[in-house]
Amino acid sequence: MAEGTAIATPGLSSFLKSLKTTPVEPSVAYLISLLKRRQIRNSRQCAVATTALLLRVVGEFKGKDSAKLVERIRQVGRRLTSAQPREVVVGNIVRRVLGLVREVVEDHLDAETNATSDIGHNSQPHNDSLSRPTLSSTISTFSPLKHATAEPLDASTHQSETMSDSGELPKRPGLLTSHTSYVPSSSAPLVNSLFGLFSHPDTPSTSNTPTGHQSPDNKGMLTSLNLERLADFSNSKFDVKAEVMDGIRELQDELDQSDDLIAANALDHIHSNEIILTHTASTGVQKFLLTAARKRKFTVVHVETFPHDHTGTHSVLLTGKNRDHSGDSEEDSFKPLRAAGIQVVMIPDSHVFAIMSQVNKVILATHTVLANGGLVAASGARMIAAAAKAHQTPVVVVSGVYKLSPVYPFDIDELIEYGDPGSVVPYEDGGFVDLVDVENPLYDYVPADLVDLYITNLGGHAPSYLYRIVADHYRTEDINL
Amino acid sequence: MDVATPTAENPLPSFDIVSTYRRILASDPDLTMPVAAIEALVEALAHSSVSTIAETLQLLERHTNILKASTPNPISLSAGTDLFQRYMIATLNRPTSLGGSVHLGPSDDFRAIRNHLLSSGKLFVERAKASREKIASFGKHFIRDGATVLTNGGSRVVGALLRRAAESSTIRFRVIYVLSPSTSSDSREGHQTVADLRAHNVPVATIPDSAVAYSLGKVDMVIVGAEGVVENGGIISRLGTYQMGLLAKSKGKPFYVVAESHKFVRLYPLSQFDLPIDQKILDFTVSDDDKVSGEQKTSEDEGVADLNPEEARSKCSGKNVDDAVDFTPPDLISGIITESGVLTPSAVSEELIKIWF
Repeated sequence: MAEGTAIATPGLSSFLKSLKTTPVEPSVAYLISLLKRRQIRNSRQCAVATTALLLRVVGEFKGKDSAKLVERIRQVGRRLTSAQPREVVVGNIVRRVLGLVREVVEDHLDAETNATSDIGHNSQPHNDSLSRPTLSSTISTFSPLKHATAEPLDASTHQSETMSDSGELPKRPGLLTSHTSYVPSSSAPLVNSLFGLFSHPDTPSTSNTPTGHQSPDNKGMLTSLNLERLADFSNSKFDVKAEVMDGIRELQDELDQSDDLIAANALDHIHSNEIILTHTASTGVQKFLLTAARKRKFTVVHVETFPHDHTGTHSVLLTGKNRDHSGDSEEDSFKPLRAAGIQVVMIPDSHVFAIMSQVNKVILATHTVLANGGLVAASGARMIAAAAKAHQTPVVVVSGVYKLSPVYPFDIDELIEYGDPGSVVPYEDGGFVDLVDVENPLYDYVPADLVDLYITNLGGHAPSYLYRIVADHYRTEDINL
Repeated sequence: MDVATPTAENPLPSFDIVSTYRRILASDPDLTMPVAAIEALVEALAHSSVSTIAETLQLLERHTNILKASTPNPISLSAGTDLFQRYMIATLNRPTSLGGSVHLGPSDDFRAIRNHLLSSGKLFVERAKASREKIASFGKHFIRDGATVLTNGGSRVVGALLRRAAESSTIRFRVIYVLSPSTSSDSREGHQTVADLRAHNVPVATIPDSAVAYSLGKVDMVIVGAEGVVENGGIISRLGTYQMGLLAKSKGKPFYVVAESHKFVRLYPLSQFDLPIDQKILDFTVSDDDKVSGEQKTSEDEGVADLNPEEARSKCSGKNVDDAVDFTPPDLISGIITESGVLTPSAVSEELIKIWF
């Protein structure tokens, strides 16, 4: 499963390298094949690859019709997600980018119509920056989460939805004409989904893909950019592309920094002389622990995660390098925990329950976080979480927001991927395989009630609060790709 | 002044909100109480000639109070009236939100809002029904192939959801239906749903309340309806739902609530006995005769003499057990399926806070 030398074998680094020279379509096909062959795996790598690819897709997009741009991104997104449905992160990134496009377009729509309505009849005297919903904070409005499943009867039957789906493309009028009838609705202060019964044109949540932590500065930059552009050619088409690309770069920054931002919380959660239990070779968790190790002395009990991640775990403990992450050179650059003066105890998975009574805190890495507060993590996670529950030990899950998916786990079995049984029973024992069935599930589903806290790059959240972060990051119209 | 004006120009005495509400509710079996209440209030508005915001709100409040006083269990109803009241306050205070293209003066605004309300009364009803269909359309994804679903009561949303799932050819599922052995409207709805499901070739087992724990081993998920969804994310629903929730939790079965978002109501009950209604379920008595409950029940007993549990129940000292409700706390609920998505119980308070503050 681990690729030997990074440069020779196809993987994230080779993809990123080839992306610079290859045209878009072959790149898409290449990524699809990498995903299908599991040569790019792990949430982070998938996220990085998808973001880079989408940046390319947007960059090479011809024309200025944002509806077509959305359709294009969607189409690429659909192909990618169907190539490897269990890498939910791919879909997450695609949805984030789609949301970005919609946001940019709506901003301009707002600003422009405001401008025109100002000229027409001075009904709404306001400056552009105030009317722009994106400026509001992350917690501005709430659009409740919808399903990752198709809803056959749609906006047409549900009128408040029609209004809220003003970003829904088929219905959106052309970009440039002034929609005076639309503007008051979108800038209306009354944005309540409970009022959906009454037909006033209200738009729930026009907003906010807060591209991380830095959004204040970046957004500010973005807006001032918008304003300039509007001033320049308020009558001509604006450049959706450039802004979306800026947004995608912000997304890339978010991916880069999410581990560090999460790690910044470490001192709040890890105290001196605590015994921390963790598993897998997750970079995020390692950084988290290392940050705490700078100030505090504690003990780490590391569960081996046999059979599918034990090599990674071993190498992380020994050298700080994760062989699975070898593609990313900058990711390798942290020192191992023991070099930071932390006592590390490695235990096999079967010892978890026995040792749990001594553990103060469990820190789990995750593959995907689902909208109901549950998570999909490397197999063994549920056992650890259940053991922690039995011992009343707090379970903290460390995850970037990009892993947070709007998907609702209707069927848990669908989310679990099965890997190579050869890593459980080596091929030399071929005769053994004839006698018994060997299975190697790679993931576990951990239900929300086994988790006490999520730490994301936005801070700490209770599992029951995750729906809100989902609502803030994904547009309801994008949830079905 | 406020006191003088309503009496001067309100034709309030001539308008009977309660009978209007009952008529609306009776006219359409698909209508829920909150929507009927909104409908009735709109009609009340139409019959009045109020012209100011204060008057309107006062009129609404008076009618709401009358309406609440007239029903034994006004929780569901108050969800509708509260929503309507908040809506009126929100719109009347923010004239621009109307969406008109021309800048309107305050009086124009008021008239416009009023006209909008009066002209689109039917629309609300349709929308409420549409939201039920919407819930059904994505709620059906919860039902996986081969699943066994436990449900109770006569919730129309649950009925719609199950029906929708039954219509889809790809899902084969079974239903265990908890039926109350009485002739309350609730159980009629239940019988209707059961008949519908069987007509769609869905195997349905009907059980009494007492068999819930027994059946739970065969159950994959529990889906219930709700009369009201309260602020902490708990639900108020037919008596027996709470025990289903407790049992489902103890067996680790997912417990989903299906409710339209207009059923969200601003209550914060902490226990069963915090509900703002007086249910005489617990009736301690030292006298042995069941005359009290007997006279209460005679009218209901007739049609169901063949059902055994009814005899047992009619001997209970509690009154009106068939119409009673209980409170299911949020920690028992896995998810609330509304027309705007699947919410965790903690999302409910946020939705409510948004319209109240």
